[in-house]
Amino acid sequence: MSDAGYRRRLSPGTRAALGVFARYGTIIGLLVMILVFSFLSPHAFPTYNNFINVLSQASLAMIIAGGLTMAVIVGELDLSVGYAASLHGVLVTGLIVANHLPIPVAVLIVLALGALIGVVNGVIVTKLKVNSVIATLGVGTVLVGLSFAYSAGVPIVSGVPEAFLQLALGRWLFGIPNPIIFMALVFGGLWLLVERTAIGQEIQAVGGNPAAARLAGINVDRIKILGFVLSGMCAALTGTLLAARLGSGTTNAADSYLLTAFAAVFLGSATLRDGEFHILGTFIGALIIVLGFNGLNIFGAPTFSQFVFQGAILIVAVGLASLGRSLAES
Amino acid sequence: MAAPPAVPFVAANAISKSYGGAQALRGASLSVLPGEVHGLVGANGAGKSTLIRILAGVTQPDTGEIAIEDRPVAILSPHAASGLGMSFIHQELAFVPDMTVLENIMLGLPKKKTRLGLVDWSAIQRDVAPIIERVGLTAPLDAAAKSLSTAENWLISIARALVWKARLIVMDEPTASLSAGECRKLFSIIRGLSAAGVAVLYVSHRLDEILDLCSRVTVFRDGRSVAVLGGPDLTRRGLVQAIVGGAVEHLPKSREATGGEIVLSVRGLRRLPRVEEASFDLRRGEVLGLGGLVGAGRSELARLLYGADRPDAGTMTIEGRPFVPRTPAGAVRAGMGLVPEERRTEGLLLDKSIAFNLSLGNLTPLLASPVLPFISPRKRARLAQATIRDLSIKASSPEQPVGRLSGGNQQKVVIGRWLRSKPKVLILDEPTRGVDIGARGEIHRLIRELAGHGMAVLVISSEPDELPDLCDRVLVMAEGRIVRELAGTDLTRSAIIEASYALTEERVSA
Repeated sequence: MSDAGYRRRLSPGTRAALGVFARYGTIIGLLVMILVFSFLSPHAFPTYNNFINVLSQASLAMIIAGGLTMAVIVGELDLSVGYAASLHGVLVTGLIVANHLPIPVAVLIVLALGALIGVVNGVIVTKLKVNSVIATLGVGTVLVGLSFAYSAGVPIVSGVPEAFLQLALGRWLFGIPNPIIFMALVFGGLWLLVERTAIGQEIQAVGGNPAAARLAGINVDRIKILGFVLSGMCAALTGTLLAARLGSGTTNAADSYLLTAFAAVFLGSATLRDGEFHILGTFIGALIIVLGFNGLNIFGAPTFSQFVFQGAILIVAVGLASLGRSLAES
Repeated sequence: MAAPPAVPFVAANAISKSYGGAQALRGASLSVLPGEVHGLVGANGAGKSTLIRILAGVTQPDTGEIAIEDRPVAILSPHAASGLGMSFIHQELAFVPDMTVLENIMLGLPKKKTRLGLVDWSAIQRDVAPIIERVGLTAPLDAAAKSLSTAENWLISIARALVWKARLIVMDEPTASLSAGECRKLFSIIRGLSAAGVAVLYVSHRLDEILDLCSRVTVFRDGRSVAVLGGPDLTRRGLVQAIVGGAVEHLPKSREATGGEIVLSVRGLRRLPRVEEASFDLRRGEVLGLGGLVGAGRSELARLLYGADRPDAGTMTIEGRPFVPRTPAGAVRAGMGLVPEERRTEGLLLDKSIAFNLSLGNLTPLLASPVLPFISPRKRARLAQATIRDLSIKASSPEQPVGRLSGGNQQKVVIGRWLRSKPKVLILDEPTRGVDIGARGEIHRLIRELAGHGMAVLVISSEPDELPDLCDRVLVMAEGRIVRELAGTDLTRSAIIEASYALTEERVSA
C-alpha cells in the first residue's frame, strides 16, 4: 500500500458544513426543541399564552444575563450579579416600606447602587489588578453580608404597596407583561450600544485584544469598568423586578440567577459568531434554556432533570461548536 | 598547546531552511568541539536563531545534515535535543517564579524517589550540591526563584543543564540583561564549564565578550556561514568585516535634506536598563530611521515616546508644547500613532473584520449624525472600501476577518488605521517583518507617502537593508544610546551595521 503518509482529510464540503453547524447549531437546536415539544404537547406548549408566560418568567434571569454579557465582552467575569440582585431586592422594598420613599426614587437609588457596585468591581479588577473571579466573588460575598445586615435575614413582606407590585405584575403595553418589556428594552439598548456606537466598538476591541486596543489609544481600564457598571445596573433592575414579583424583599432570592445567566452567556458565545460573546447570542442562549425548562415542566419532568438539562445543554452546545470550528479550520 | 580533538561534538553541515518565501539559511555550517567556547555572530536576520531552533529540535531543516560525534542524527523535538546532550538557555529565561530554586533546577528532569514513590528531595539535594557549588549559586535552595536576580536565574538554568549532564550549552544573548559584575561572574563560570569539557555555543552581538571568551567564532551573513575565525585571525576587525561583508556599497541618495519644522523633540530621555540617553528631533515630512541590534533599546525608546512606559528622566515636546504621555491613549490624543512590532498580538483583532480594525481608535468619522452616538455601518463599509482601494489591500470584502489576510496585507490594515486619523508623528516598529518582498515595497511607498503629506515618521528596523532605502536620516542605537547619525551619502547598509557594533571611533577603513 502506498498510503504510508495517509491522513484523514475532510473534504471542503464537509468543512463548510461543520463551519455552518458551529455557528448555527444552537439555533437549529432551539428550533428542533420547539418542534419536538410542539409535536409532543400540541395544546400546552406552542401557545401564545405559554410563550408569554415563559418569557415573563425568564425575563429576570435574562436581564442579568444581558448585563453579564457586557462584563464578559470586556474580558472579565462578574460573579457578584446574583448576590447583588438579592441585595437590591431587599433594599428597594426596605426603602419603600421602612423609609417611605416614593417608588421611582427607591428604584433610582437601587439602580445607582448597582452602578456603584460595578465601579467597585471594575476598580478592583483594573487598578488593583485582582483577577475578576476573585474580585467579584469577594464583592458578592460582602453584598450577601450587607443584605443580611439590612434585613436581619427576615423577609420584608408586609406593607409593600400595590403600585410597586405592578412593576412586575402589570401589563402596561399591549397586554404584554412588564418584565418582558423591560427585558426587551435592556437587550435592545445593549445591542445598540455594543454593535452601533463608538463606545461599543471600543468595548469589543478591549475584549478581543486588550494589548491592541491599548496601543490603538483606547482607555482599556475605563471600558472594563463600564462593562462592570452595566452588569451591576442590570443586576439592580432584576433585583427590583424580583422583589416586585415576589411582593417581598428576601435575601438569597436572586442568587440562583447567576448560574442561569452564565449558561445563557456561554451558550450565546457558541451562536452565530465563532466563540465570541454577544448580546443576540445571549438572548438566544437564554431562550434555549427557558424553553427547555418549560418543555420539561409541561411533561412533569422532576426538578432535578432541569438542572441536568441546563448543565448538559451548555457543555454539549459549547463543546460541539468549538469542535466543529476546529474541524472546519483543520 | 595540545591540538584540539578532531571529532566535533556537534556538526551541522550545509543546512538550508526557508519559511514561506523567505530563505533563512542557505547552506550554513557550524561545528563545535567538545569543551570549546564557540561564538556565533552575525547581523540581525543572518540566520543565527534559525540554526539554533534547528539544533534545539524546534524546527526541521529543509536540507543538510547534523551529526553528534560523527553520528548523523535527526533532531525531531526539543526532547530529542536534550536526549542528545544539548541544553538551550534563551534570553527570556523560562522558570516558575513561585517554585523554589531546587524545584526549578529539577523542573521536568527525572527525580529520585523514596521507597514510597514520593520525590526524595533530600537525596536530590545531596546529588545537586556539587553542581550548585560549581556554578557558584549561593542562594538558598528553598528560596523562591522569583526572589533571585536575573543573573542567579541564569545560574539555575546552567545548573539544570549540568544536572542533565549536557555536553553542549547554547546561550543566546546571555548578557543582555546582566550588570557588568554579573557578566564577569558568568564568564568565569563559562570558562569553568569549558575546562570541565562542556562546550558552550555563545550567541551574542557584543564583540568584546566574544573576543574575550571564545576560542573560535563562526560568522553568519545572509543565511550562510561566511567565516570561521580562530587563533590570530580572531580580531575585532576581522569579525566586523565578515559580518558586514567585503563590499562597502554606496547607494546614491538623491533626496533633499528635509527642512520642515521640528514636530517631535526629545531631550535626555532615559529609562534604565535599556535606554540610557536619547536626544533627537523629528521634522515634518521626514522619515527618520532608528537602527541597531536587537536589544539595543530601540523598541524600549518607542514605548517611552508612546506612553506605554514612563521615562526616568528627560523631556519631550510636540510642536513646542511639553509632551508627557502617561498612557498610549494620552499619546494618541497628543498626536502620536504607533504601528507596533507584534502586529498579530498588539496591532490587530484577528477575528474582527478589516472594517472594524481600520476604525479602531478613530471612530468619529463613522458617526451617522453629529448629535447621536450611533455609528453608521454603511459609512464604515464605505470608508473601509476606500482604504482597501487606496492601500491595495488584497481582500474579498471589508467584512473579511483580518486574521485571514497575508502578513503584508495585515500590516497595511494597521497602517491604514493611522492613515485616516493623521497623527502628527507616526512610529512604525519593524513595519516589514515577515512581509513578502512585493508588499514590502508597497509599504515603503506608503510610508514615504505619509511623510509626503507632512507626517513625521519614525521607522524602527532591525534589517540593515531596509533603512537606507526608506529613510532620509538614520539614528543608530547601541547599548541604550544613540551612537551615530547617518544621512546623505553616509547612509549605507554597512555604515549602519558598523555603528550598531558601537565602532564609533575605530572605523573599518579597509
